[in-house]
Amino acid sequence: MRNAFSDALVAAALADPKVLLLTGDHGYALFDAFRKARPEQYINCGIAEQNMVGVAAGLAKAGFKPIVYGLAAFVPVRVLEQIKIDVCYENLPVILIGDGAGLVYSHLGISHQCTEDIACTRAIPALTVLSPADRFEMTATMQLALQLASPVYLRVGKSDRGDVHPGPVQLQAGEMLQLRKSTQRIALLATGSMVRMALDLIAQGLEAEVWSVPSIKPIGRQQLAEVASRVDCVITLEEHSVMGGLGACVAEEVAAHRPLPVCRIGIEDRFSAYCGTWDYLLQEHRLDLPSIKHRIECFLSWLPAKTVGIHNGL
Amino acid sequence: MKKFNANHIRKVILDMAYSGATVHIGCAFSIVELLAVLYRKHLQLDPRNPAMPTRDYMVLSKGHGVMAQYACLHELGWLTDDDILQYFKNGTRLKGLADAHVPGVEATAGSLGHGLSVAAGLALAAKLNKTNQTCYVLVGDGELNEGANWEAALFATHFKLDNLVVIVDKNGFQAMGATDDVIVLGNIEEKFRAFGFEAVTIDGHDEAAIDAAYNNMKTARNGRPKAIVATSVKGKGVSFMEHNNIWHYTRLTSETYAAAITELGYTA
Repeated sequence: MRNAFSDALVAAALADPKVLLLTGDHGYALFDAFRKARPEQYINCGIAEQNMVGVAAGLAKAGFKPIVYGLAAFVPVRVLEQIKIDVCYENLPVILIGDGAGLVYSHLGISHQCTEDIACTRAIPALTVLSPADRFEMTATMQLALQLASPVYLRVGKSDRGDVHPGPVQLQAGEMLQLRKSTQRIALLATGSMVRMALDLIAQGLEAEVWSVPSIKPIGRQQLAEVASRVDCVITLEEHSVMGGLGACVAEEVAAHRPLPVCRIGIEDRFSAYCGTWDYLLQEHRLDLPSIKHRIECFLSWLPAKTVGIHNGL
Repeated sequence: MKKFNANHIRKVILDMAYSGATVHIGCAFSIVELLAVLYRKHLQLDPRNPAMPTRDYMVLSKGHGVMAQYACLHELGWLTDDDILQYFKNGTRLKGLADAHVPGVEATAGSLGHGLSVAAGLALAAKLNKTNQTCYVLVGDGELNEGANWEAALFATHFKLDNLVVIVDKNGFQAMGATDDVIVLGNIEEKFRAFGFEAVTIDGHDEAAIDAAYNNMKTARNGRPKAIVATSVKGKGVSFMEHNNIWHYTRLTSETYAAAITELGYTA
């Protein structure tokens, strides 16, 4: 996935000299290929993210296409006001990359973990929010972001969990990608690292249709309405707070168009307490496979029998 | 009358502030000469096209002084008489703080500490495009409390943005009192010099001194960004407003409006 990101950056810079890569002194090895291919389009702004986003806005006003890279804890969260005022109010073509989103920096503590970025960014007008799940979605979301010519936040989370698609995908803004069909009337919607988890749940016997949601904003309103019209409940999975993230988007849409039970599985309203590996912190937050299975079983068991009149494989 | 006449600009500010029943009069008065000289003699603009790609940039970072800029944009013909006369009426486009949707306003400011970074981006773009554009950015002294300004100052020096001219409106006041009482700024000229800028302090109401400073700073393409620290008077031009910080917040009455207009040599 990181190679796909690097490849997309290099391709964008080679194709258009107006593409500039700005970093807040992060991305050491990640940008080797870029710096080799187009050193004059690479700008290290130093450890000064507020200024970096303002500079990107100025560059974009003058016709450049800045790609601003930082850790998600800093871009977008630390610089939310600059994104809102300097970039989005003028609808400038700035792509903001937030790397290491979710619990990726599990050993470093909560300053570098980021489970609130979707909630923060999706409320800003004009800002598109994308969240790729594998290398194919990374390529597609980068292509989409470059085509849009408007502000984009691209959330990059745990990136070494393998592919969820068999090959390259095409993606439009607001499109959900179906990964599994099912005769059972349950929909499992996931984004980022949790798409792989959703497929693992299926491999363990859960019977549900599975969708990857790489476009959080705009959300796939039409597709969601179609899904909601043929299932009895929806389960969302994300490495983000259950407040304001994918689950919230889906619940809002479903509530408006076809009210259904929605089970939002993500980070509850708490900080990580302990140090450990990414897998360890998933357990702490009950986002590991056994915990998620248990939570889904509980959810399904609480539903009235007539709502989900099925025997599920779990 | 001279173009961008300071007295006339102050009259337009009073008219706007009175008809809109709004505040920030003192904040606009302290930057009148700084903007008047800039618009009169220095900014390379296309009168018919505020968005001309090769224009000089004027970023008003102390967005609460925006009535002074509106008066200049009105004189340029980019704002209409109606814009001025209908200030703050429902459904109008001119807000109480700088807003980039207004032709001639380069950045949305009022939340302080944004303009210098945007200006640095514009200045860098001019460098990358190899144009001769100059980017001016006007910041308040109180605004320099915001740390992002100093991030931008480091950036401007590192990237040798000698086409960037920071103008500091040093009127000595911020919202809640004298800058020395709120957060001591020390010697602003020395601070910018320490950050690598070429810096000078001038009288912010002396048009000849302002003109000379702009000339010197915009022509010195020597690899260093520029700072002009303009010592100014908050409320300058109307005796009962000068040095009186209540005119950050106070609205005009018919009496104070008439008295102020009369002092400027106009009739209410």
